[in-house]
Amino acid sequence: MELYRLTASELSEKIKNKECSSVEATQAIFDRIEKTEDKVNAYISLSKESALKKAQEIDEKIASGETLSDLAGIPVGIKDNIVTKDMLTTCASKMLYNFVPPYNATVMDKLEKCGIVVVGKLNMDEFAMGSSTENSYYKKTKNPNDLTRVPGGSSGGSAAAVSAGEAFLTLGSDTGGSIRQPASYCGVIGLKPTYGSVSRYGLVAFASSLDQIGPIGRSVKDVAMLYSEICGRDDKDATTAVREYPNFAKNLNGSVKGMTIGIPKEYFGDGVDAKVKESVMDAVKVLENAGATVKHISLPSTDYALSAYYIISSAEASSNLARFDGVKYGYRAENYESLTDMYERTRSEGFGDEVKRRIMLGTFVLSSGYYDAYYKRAKLLQQQISAEFAQAFSECDLIITPTAPTSAFKLGENIDDPLKMYASDICTVTVNIAGLPAVSVPCGNDDNGMPIGMQMIGPKFSEQKLLDTAFSYEQLMGGSIVKIAEL
Amino acid sequence: MEYEVIVGLEVHAELSTATKIYCSCKNSFGSEVNSNCCPICTGMPGTLPSLNKKVVEYAVKMGHALNCKINNVCKMDRKNYFYPDLPKAYQISQFDIPLCENGYVDIILDESGATKRIGVTRIHIEEDAGKLLHDDSFAGSLVDFNRCGVPLIEIVSEPDMRGSKEAKAYLDSIKAILQYIDISDCKMQEGSIRCDINVSVRPVGSDVFGTRVEMKNVNTFSGAVRAIEYEAKRQIEVIENGGTISQETRRWDDLQGQNFLLRSKEDAHDYRYFPEPDLLTIHVPEEEVDAIKKSIPELPNAKILRYMHDYKLPHYDSNLLAENMEKSAFFEQCIEFNKVQPKNISNWILGDISRIFNEKNISFADTKITAKNLVDMIEMVEKSEISNTGAKTVLEEIMFNDISARQVVEEKGLAQISDNSALEALVKEVLASNEKAVNDYKNGKTNVVGFLVGQCMRASKGKGNPAILKEIVVSMIESM
Amino acid sequence: MQIDIKHIAKLSRLKIEDEKLNKFETEMQNIIGMVEKLPSLEDKLSGVDVNNTMELREDVVQPSLKRDEILKNAPQTQAGCVVVPKTVE
Repeated sequence: MELYRLTASELSEKIKNKECSSVEATQAIFDRIEKTEDKVNAYISLSKESALKKAQEIDEKIASGETLSDLAGIPVGIKDNIVTKDMLTTCASKMLYNFVPPYNATVMDKLEKCGIVVVGKLNMDEFAMGSSTENSYYKKTKNPNDLTRVPGGSSGGSAAAVSAGEAFLTLGSDTGGSIRQPASYCGVIGLKPTYGSVSRYGLVAFASSLDQIGPIGRSVKDVAMLYSEICGRDDKDATTAVREYPNFAKNLNGSVKGMTIGIPKEYFGDGVDAKVKESVMDAVKVLENAGATVKHISLPSTDYALSAYYIISSAEASSNLARFDGVKYGYRAENYESLTDMYERTRSEGFGDEVKRRIMLGTFVLSSGYYDAYYKRAKLLQQQISAEFAQAFSECDLIITPTAPTSAFKLGENIDDPLKMYASDICTVTVNIAGLPAVSVPCGNDDNGMPIGMQMIGPKFSEQKLLDTAFSYEQLMGGSIVKIAEL
Repeated sequence: MEYEVIVGLEVHAELSTATKIYCSCKNSFGSEVNSNCCPICTGMPGTLPSLNKKVVEYAVKMGHALNCKINNVCKMDRKNYFYPDLPKAYQISQFDIPLCENGYVDIILDESGATKRIGVTRIHIEEDAGKLLHDDSFAGSLVDFNRCGVPLIEIVSEPDMRGSKEAKAYLDSIKAILQYIDISDCKMQEGSIRCDINVSVRPVGSDVFGTRVEMKNVNTFSGAVRAIEYEAKRQIEVIENGGTISQETRRWDDLQGQNFLLRSKEDAHDYRYFPEPDLLTIHVPEEEVDAIKKSIPELPNAKILRYMHDYKLPHYDSNLLAENMEKSAFFEQCIEFNKVQPKNISNWILGDISRIFNEKNISFADTKITAKNLVDMIEMVEKSEISNTGAKTVLEEIMFNDISARQVVEEKGLAQISDNSALEALVKEVLASNEKAVNDYKNGKTNVVGFLVGQCMRASKGKGNPAILKEIVVSMIESM
Repeated sequence: MQIDIKHIAKLSRLKIEDEKLNKFETEMQNIIGMVEKLPSLEDKLSGVDVNNTMELREDVVQPSLKRDEILKNAPQTQAGCVVVPKTVE
């Protein structure tokens, strides 16, 4: 079998047992990229030279008998809103077309210590705002399962690369579904961790109270492996929880016996494709047959979640993106007459339309006279949604819903209708609003052969249980639920 | 018509912590441009603040000193505006729940020790902005980010002050307290304490406030006095000429001695405050709040009033002593001996000791003076065992050497001669060689006696008791 | 709800070309229309959540970054500083 087809955990074993080297695996990935990247457009930038150099170092360490992390020597792709020291970090925006950070994100420090090999920086919607990766300034990533369709977003590059075999694992970020929805569209596994479990230091902020970095991979174990290495308290991120985390991958346990699964009716409404509902309920059936109990529940505030999400996320974004002003880094307009003129031209020329739309929405909801009507009401709803989830988790272990109301749509299909585009986040935003962990797992295909994802949501810090359940489903489905797209 | 001038102040004081408020860069003044900076304080993408514990502690300390209610559970908020000295384009400050609120400070109005209570609305913590450097030779402005993230407390007063004199007394009190509790350098020339001033006027007797005008860019306390007086005069003129005051922000230019319109109410910033999502709730446990309270020393104004009342010191002395922690502590050590007049102790500390400190640019720590030595020395003066001149010599010695006051007197032979027979011989000689002065005295110019006593003192090498010498001089001339 | 898109753009330091103003205005209005459907809930927010407190940082100096590193991404620098158009305030 070609090396790029291995899961990260399989590759990890082979590297440790010296059945293959990290250099060979890295070379295999770059060969695959050579072959498929023209079609997929997953990466904004590639770092072949430094990747091979790093792989070489890892191979030398292994040869000298050093004990290394499970991730050592594994080629991994990084979403381009995660700051990488001395490596271009653009957020898929013209605004940061030349930004080479003099610092690392905390997750990069951790992963470098583990000895991962960085393949390159992955495409995304500009500043993570979008659900199709069509908002990138640089390129449009295609869904490897059907090149006329979007990979989802905003971590479209991260999901597409895994699906296309252009990386063994990737990091994405999720503010309203940006890991889970593309994972669902591309037929891979994506984990949005509990808010506060992974450091956001060095994740270019979209909505600080909702953003979270998470892994995307081709097996539950791969995702668990990467998550185990990136989670943890970071003194540089005051919002990270002070607690210890287990090695989730080593602890994986594939039994769902006695588990209660909640099925909230609001996530199976009219807006959700019949085929999507069917696939998800089929998957639930599989778990039920394995000993889980199904309980039908209600999360009544779900209908308002999208509104609350757009208010909170845009408000924070309008403030977070104010620093891109042409003064300290990135793009600066060429001609300007004054300071204000420089600000306005730089920001108008440097940001795309979707980013501008959200900045203006956020500015509006925070502006004098509107704060109480919008921002404050959204924060109240946030509390309500959290309370409803807490209530639900008092009677079930986890909740299963579709990850997205449809499978991947066509490129260009929703680009002129922001509201229609926003609706693709309808199943995922509640999780961010409540700060919960959720994993998207492929659970079938629609009539066009496009993957469908189911979302498993758990209480805060229940990642082990979520991953266990996903692992159990994976085992029940024959050990592998992700197919590499044939390109 | 007579007008009353109403003043409210917002004082910004930089805190003297080791590091900045949201990152671990050094908090120091005067470094090379952009040398105390990191990705966090220069607002680079993806960086996050982590709040300095000491900043919270210092602000709580100030809260206690100003008799505030401490909101030990509070939060930070973002204040959004674009300016090149603010790299994140928002200042992390506190909006609706300040760390401290509803306090007061009693200012001393005059030399009688009359006080007035000025309300303190709130104290909150926030970050300072960077510095913009301008040069006429250059078309743009330069940004130095060193000051970005230097911790500040903003102390907001109620509009309780009437006129510039009260405002000055308030500012002096705030500054003295900051220094006392050791949380700010208060170096005006380094801009570590600055204020914004709200001024309004109203006819005397009116009980409604006039429209207030905010003045920014006031960097010295004397400047604050000038700014208030200027603005009050401006407002009164507007009103007298039939105009009305509009709510606006003006910029004080101390060099020109006038202010200029910065922005009108219509152009007021919309700061779009909202809770800082990168930081969670601040919680200072009750025990810590109490422990900080216990660490507050007696504050300067209380001390001044106590000195005036208990030791009958004039306001002037009390103020000067209280202003300086070391001096007041030393004064009180001397008082403890309960041997000499408090006023005499004060005179020596504020007089010769302070003079020597200034001349040599030193403080108590650089000397060997002890309270006991000073008290012994003063006691000898009070008992006429040494002269004032002799005492000055003693002081020089006990300040810089390990020697007791009495030893100095012995070794240097400074004991005052009070023995009449010895002094009479000496006076006889002086009178003999100052015949003209003696005749002047006899001709009614009795004030030459001072000169003659001085000559006697010199002849005694400072050891003669001047009071006794004077008696002898007078009686000898009169019996001649 | 009528939105003063020009005012909001100004607050956001964005310049919206005239031909795009209408499009943005309609889109914004639609989005606002959606978010206005939020229910009014009883205000139980005290503004602070005592169950969600943070650890504070110890006041210990760590090395700063070299000036070259701080300035290397700046569009224009001079004399160790970032250059901006002349400020008036």
